[in-house]
Order: sequence, then C-alpha cells, then structure tokens
Amino acid sequence: MRKLALVAVLAASAIAVALSSGSSHREAPGSSLDPTGDWTDVYFFTPNDDPGSAVVVGNVIPFEDPAGGPLFYSLDPNARYYINFDNTGDGRADVRYRFEVEDKINKRTRLALGASGPVTSVRDKDLLLRQTYDVVRERYNRRGRLVRRRTVGRNLPVAPSNIGPKTMPNYQSLVDQSTRGLRGGGRVFVGQRDDPFYIDLGMTFDLINFRDATTGNAGGYKDDLAGYAVHSFVLKLPERLITRNGEAVGAPDASNAAVGVWASTERRKLVVSNGRGRGGRGRYVQVNRLGNPLINELFIPISRKDEFNRSRPRNDGKKFGQYALEPELVKAINALFMLGCKETDRTDIVQALFTGIPGVTAIGSKPAAADTLKLNLGVPPTTPDQVNRFGVIGGDNAGLPNGRRLFDDAVDIYLRVACGFLIPEDQGGKKLPLGDGVDVNDKAFLPTFPYVAAPTSGFDSRIKQDQPTHAPTPGAPPLVP
Amino acid sequence: MTLALRKLPSLAVVGVAFVVALAIFTLVNRPPSPSSGAGDSGATSAPASAATTEGRIRGLEEALEAGGGGPRTYATLGGALMQRLRETGDASLYTRADMAFAEALERDPRNLDATVGLGTLALARHDFRAALRHGQRARRIGPRSFAPFAVLVDAQIELGRYGAAERTLQRMIDFKPTLASYARVSYFRELHGDVEGALDAMRLAVSAAPGPGENRSYVQTLLGNLELERGRIAAAAASYRTALAGFPSYAPAEAGLARVDAARGRLQAAIDRLRGVVGRLPLPGYVVALGETGLAAGRRADAASDFELVRVQQRLLGARGVNADAELTVFEADHGSPRRAVRLGRRGYAAAPSVRAADALGWALTRAGRPRAGLVYARRALRLGSRDPLFLYHAGVAARAAGAPEAARGYLTRALAANPRFSPLHAPAARRALRSLR
Repeated sequence: MRKLALVAVLAASAIAVALSSGSSHREAPGSSLDPTGDWTDVYFFTPNDDPGSAVVVGNVIPFEDPAGGPLFYSLDPNARYYINFDNTGDGRADVRYRFEVEDKINKRTRLALGASGPVTSVRDKDLLLRQTYDVVRERYNRRGRLVRRRTVGRNLPVAPSNIGPKTMPNYQSLVDQSTRGLRGGGRVFVGQRDDPFYIDLGMTFDLINFRDATTGNAGGYKDDLAGYAVHSFVLKLPERLITRNGEAVGAPDASNAAVGVWASTERRKLVVSNGRGRGGRGRYVQVNRLGNPLINELFIPISRKDEFNRSRPRNDGKKFGQYALEPELVKAINALFMLGCKETDRTDIVQALFTGIPGVTAIGSKPAAADTLKLNLGVPPTTPDQVNRFGVIGGDNAGLPNGRRLFDDAVDIYLRVACGFLIPEDQGGKKLPLGDGVDVNDKAFLPTFPYVAAPTSGFDSRIKQDQPTHAPTPGAPPLVP
Repeated sequence: MTLALRKLPSLAVVGVAFVVALAIFTLVNRPPSPSSGAGDSGATSAPASAATTEGRIRGLEEALEAGGGGPRTYATLGGALMQRLRETGDASLYTRADMAFAEALERDPRNLDATVGLGTLALARHDFRAALRHGQRARRIGPRSFAPFAVLVDAQIELGRYGAAERTLQRMIDFKPTLASYARVSYFRELHGDVEGALDAMRLAVSAAPGPGENRSYVQTLLGNLELERGRIAAAAASYRTALAGFPSYAPAEAGLARVDAARGRLQAAIDRLRGVVGRLPLPGYVVALGETGLAAGRRADAASDFELVRVQQRLLGARGVNADAELTVFEADHGSPRRAVRLGRRGYAAAPSVRAADALGWALTRAGRPRAGLVYARRALRLGSRDPLFLYHAGVAARAAGAPEAARGYLTRALAANPRFSPLHAPAARRALRSLR
C-alpha cells in the first residue's frame, strides 16, 4: 500500500524527477546580489535639531519582513561596512568610518524563538543572537595615504530586530540603549529601522490598469516598501569632523562648506588553493558602493553594474561619465513617448550628481566627477513647515540634490530632472509633472536622532500600504503633508 | 493649465515606463528574502509581495501580460522561476524558465541575464557541456560581469576540468567575494581534501548570506555536511537545525538530520524523517538514502520497495534521454544490476569525466567483478586528494578484490577515520572489509 502511494507520488512528479535528475552536484546560487553587503540608500542632511552637525544614514538588507523570525536578519560579521567622506573634491575618501560587526550567539537559547523571554536590555541573555560593533575612524591625506586610525566606539550594541510587544515590551528603550556617543564627537546608531524609501512597484508592472480612474499622478498608489525594514547605520557628526579644514562651516559660500559622502562594503578575498591542496584568506576588497540614489539602477548599463560596484568614485568621470552626459533613460523615455526631452550634453545631470552644482555642492574649485552624495553644510535646514519633498526643484534648497533628506522624493525628482527640470526652457529644458504616485513614506520620520522611523514589530507586521489620492499635480509640486 | 492637463495621460504613462525600468532594477537590487512564502507547499495565504519569489514572479508575469515587458523583464522572470525551483523542486518551472529565457533572447540575442539563465538551466539538467558553452558565451557578452563566472566554474568542475575551474574560481572570488563565490571555493577545496579550508569558506558564505530563506539555508546545510564529513555530529545537527529554522521543511536539511540520526544509531528516526522528505520530494538521492537506512535496520522488504521507486525513476529518466547521474550509477551497482551500472557509468564518464563520475564507474566495475579496472577509476576519483569516505570505501573494496591488501587497508582506514559512521550501510561494510584484511 505504501509503495503504491509512493509510486503515485512519483508518477505525479515524473517531470520533476526527469528534469532534476540528480541532486548531488552543487547548484549554489550564482547571483551577484548580496543583501548583507549591498547598500540600498544613503541619506545626508543637516538635522533641524542640531544644525551644527551632519547626519548620514546608510541602509543595507532590503525587504526585511519584520515577522521574519525566528532567525530574523543580521549584518555580516565578516564584512567591513564604511561611510566615506570626500571634503577635497578629488573623489577620494578623506575621512572614513568603518563598522566591524561581531556575533554574540547565546548557545543556551533554543532555536524555536528569536528570544527565550522578555528582552529588556540590548545585552539581554534571552536574545538568541545579538550583534555588537566597533567604529574605527580613519583620516587620509591628499594622496590617499592613511594618516590616522582610531577606534572611536568599542563593543557597541546593534539594536535587535523588533520581535513584538511580548518579547520586547519597551522597544524604544532598546533603541535608546543602542544610541551611543563616539569618542572625539558624534553619535551613532546601528540596527533595524523602517525602510525610508517609498515606491509603487506593483502598479508599475501593470501598465494599463491604473489604480484610480484618473490617469495623472494623483497619488493613490501603493507603497510596496511600506512595512518592510532595513538595517540602518546612522551617524551624526559635528561638522568639524568631516570638513576639509577641521572647522565648523560658517556660511554656504565658505570654502569648507561642501562635503561628499558614500557608503561601501568590503569583503575578504580567498586564495582558492596554494597548489598544495591548501587554501587561505586574502585581503579585503570592495564589493559594493552607493552615493547618489539610483545611479547604478538607472544610469549604468547592465554589463557594467558589477564593475561600477568594484570601482572608486574618483574614476567615475572617466569610466562612467558618458552615461550621465547622455543618459539611456532619457532616450528610452523619448523613444517610447516622444516627449522631446533633451538627450545629449546633459551637463545639468553631470553637475547635479557627479561634479556638484557650482557654488552649492561643488567641493573645491576643480571638483572631480564622482558619484558622491554632496551636501552644502552651510545651507541651513528648512523648517518642518516649509520643507518640500521635491527639494531644490521645489524651491527647497536643503534637499536633494543638495544632500538627501529621508523624505525627499527621489523617484519623482529624478523623473523630472531627467526631462530637464534644471535646464532653462530656451535651452531644451522642460518642467514636466512626472511622478510615481507614492509621495510619502508610510511612517513619519523622527525629529531627533536616529531620525529614521522605528521598524514595525514582527507581531504587528503588515506589509504594503495604499496612499491617499489627491488632485493631479501638473503645476507646482505639493508640500509634504 | 489646460494644455498641461491634456498632456497628463501621456506624462503619466512616461512615469509608468520610467518606473517599470526602475522597478525592475529595484527588484534586481532589492532581492527577495523569501520568508512568508518560504514553505514548500507553494500555497500561501500571505499576500504575494515583492519580497517573496512567488510575488516577484506574479508581478513580472502581470507586467508581461499587460504588454509591458522587454527582454530584461523576461530574463528577470526566468531568474525568479529558477529561484522558485530551488525552493520547491517543482519542475514545471524548468519549462517556464526556459521559455522566459528564450523570449528574452528572441528580443535581444545578447541579453546577459538570459544567457546566464540558460547556463544555470543546463547545469540543473546535467547538460554540462551546454552549460559550459552558455557560460563562455556569457563571459564574451559581459566580460566585466560577475554572473557568468558561476555558470563557468560549475560546468568546468562537473566536466572534470579542475585546473581551468580553479583559475575561473580565483578570478570570480577576486572579482566579488560573496555567498556565490565563497560557496564555490568551499566545494572546490572539499573536492581537494581541504576540509578545513572548505569549512572556512562555507562559514564566510553563511555569514554573507541574506536573511531567512532558501539561500541561507542552502549554505547552512552544506556547512552541516562538511561538519558531518569530519565527524562532528553535534555541530552538523546544529547547522541543519538552523537551516530548518530559516526555511521550514527544507528537504536537504531534513535529509542531513536523517544522516545525523543514522550516525547516532537512531535508524528508526532517520527512516521516519527520510520518508517525510521522500513523500514531498522523491529525488533519487533521498529515496536511496531511505532504502539504505532501511536495509541497515534489517527491513529488507521496505528497502526493496523503496529501491523499486528508484528504478521507476531511472526508467523515466532513460525514456527522456536525461544523462544518467553518477548517483544512479552507484545505486545500480549497489542494489541493482552491476552490468547495467557499468553501462551507465561509462556513458556518464564519457559525458563528464569528473571525480564523481570516475568513482561511480569504478564502483560499477568493481561490483561487476572487474576490480582491477575498478581500482584504476577509484584512483582517478581520488586524484585530487578527496577525503570523501564513500570514494575511499569504494577504492578500498576494489583494492582488496584486486589483490592489493596494503592499499585496501589504507583506503578503508581513511574512510573510517574522520567519521566512523559515515553511512549506516557502508560504514559497517567497510569495517568488515578491514577486519577481513587483518
């Protein structure tokens, strides 16, 4: 009887068996994707609550489902995570903050749950896995030589994932415990947070079926990243720690005002074999980097994406400048919809993203073309009642592409800039009201450190969210609600 | 204002087109961590989201139905279908993936992802020569891309071209040290008997792995296998359990735990576990393990019916012209007709002369009463320095029957050294053979 049943199962899966004829040879994933190493977004802004400082937020591990237990998500303890600053405009790092993560596994805890009891402290023994990290600050001279290395934070806790109210009755206190000061100045937080990026992925696949009766960008679409978390690295540093001359910035036109930032990850190479049947470890090598949003996604051709991730910003002009000067994206839009957006000689895009806008985000007098997210630290932050999610093109000079705030609408801004929002109309510019129908993040950002919203707990997890509709916005972009 | 409003429809469409491109890139760069849809039932009540492989597939297929996809969308869909196949073993997905890659290449013959995808598909079908061709073509299309390396290395290893594989692999890991390259370095080292080095690389793969999901559980299971190979049974069990926590009912990890049970002498527990695995995913490897564990427990009748299953599978395979795998050759040699095993083994070795194929052919020859010829191939199987206890056991039996007791003692001692319970059936046989040589 049993045999018959099994044969039936087998017959039902005959094709399966025929095609996956063996299970014994290795079929490791071949993807270059690397969620624990790939940065999804970097933000860089002057915070309203502390205008003498600059805040960098860098995120890894997209699509963290808050209910993804019992193991949840963690950083790679064998990777080195970097936040890099260029304050001389040559595209080289002058100051770097390195994060080295360590696993602390509680072997006594059973695997069935993320924790074995209420977690009241970041060092709680009830946590199955907790992570800690060291922060190392490095300074480099003009020739790219390391001149100073100092550990400015040691054995700091990574905030645990928010499992739920029973396991973590007071998650905020765990966040507070994970917010630490750094030797020599600054504050730091590393841990799970709500993904601040927002976009409608679902409707974009369905070209015909708009979610509402109108056909304009009238909001009402779905934020497909709503409810998902990421791992955030948040650094708040006094200006003097990242400026060229080691001093605070006096005014937007001060010579030390503009600073560029990017995040990068390094992993260890291996020596496959030494020829005598023994392999070994090699040195660290960069596997990913990210400065401005969506550069690799929208500007770099597929065949060169991996190369882009391995390369250094200082070589961007030479290697990748052509893709910003004549973006394929604009050509594709024109080919499909004949909007007549300017396709060539897009120095406006090169400036906004690579060399910096002269007098605002350009670093020094002869800035290299480098994909770094540049912020003029002298531009005061816009007060909350005056901010505009369109940043500079919305008349709000403290936002993208002058740095990037958490709420800046990168998708809409890029879309509009691609069609020439920054170019005078007599030179081929167009001010078109393009957008993706998702205008805000599902969670409000915090007015104070760590600024990024708290993650949804695993218990409360509810992914995706519809957004309210509003009148189409052909004219002036709306303010942030 | 009127003018602007009249323009709106087309503008909105532009927005959509832009975002389609963006979404595909975003999906590509924000890969899935299948957690809510992680079970292998295939049916989940959770809403399909971009975070699950299933949700990605649905989104991409809807886009294509709506007429909104180019070669890139088709290639991305093919890749998602391949990942779903990894998660479920549902082979109707092969055909769908194949079609998606074909559609992509019809629209863009130089599409890199689709070319790599066809290579991955050929590997899964054990057509290693085709995989090599696709891999080489992918390297030409994308000489500065990472993905072609993986197909190329896998094909070279399975074809027994280890020197070339090492060179490709070194370039791959120099290019991007990540889960895909660490896991392959680990396998290469394992094949060469460098178990410590293999463990080191696999630990790096686990640490680099994304959140809970198939990929992380996959490398965690391989880590368990390596621990088991060196006889660290508790460490192996912990690794398998972690894999199962991240991906419930993950068949390779369940099978690993069954081996742990067997190594601890709990044959009934091993049998129960394997029966559960086979009920869901009747791959030959699992069925053979089930039958052999049954035999070790003295259940001849049960084992015979399990082995009958493998034969049915084999006939199905033959009817479809699928390459006989080394695994089936060894099965036939152990539990079927050694002469048929020799035929299968010769065909397999001619198609892909890897150390696995050499071991299988050698064992078939030994079992067919030609131990001298068997020993030649057993030595070839060990030429890289492999410490695989089954390879060593096969070599030991061949050497004993070929009249080389000294060599036989050496092989059998080494087979039992790292893990004296490497198989519930063959480890006792190895011990008996060793005793007979004293």
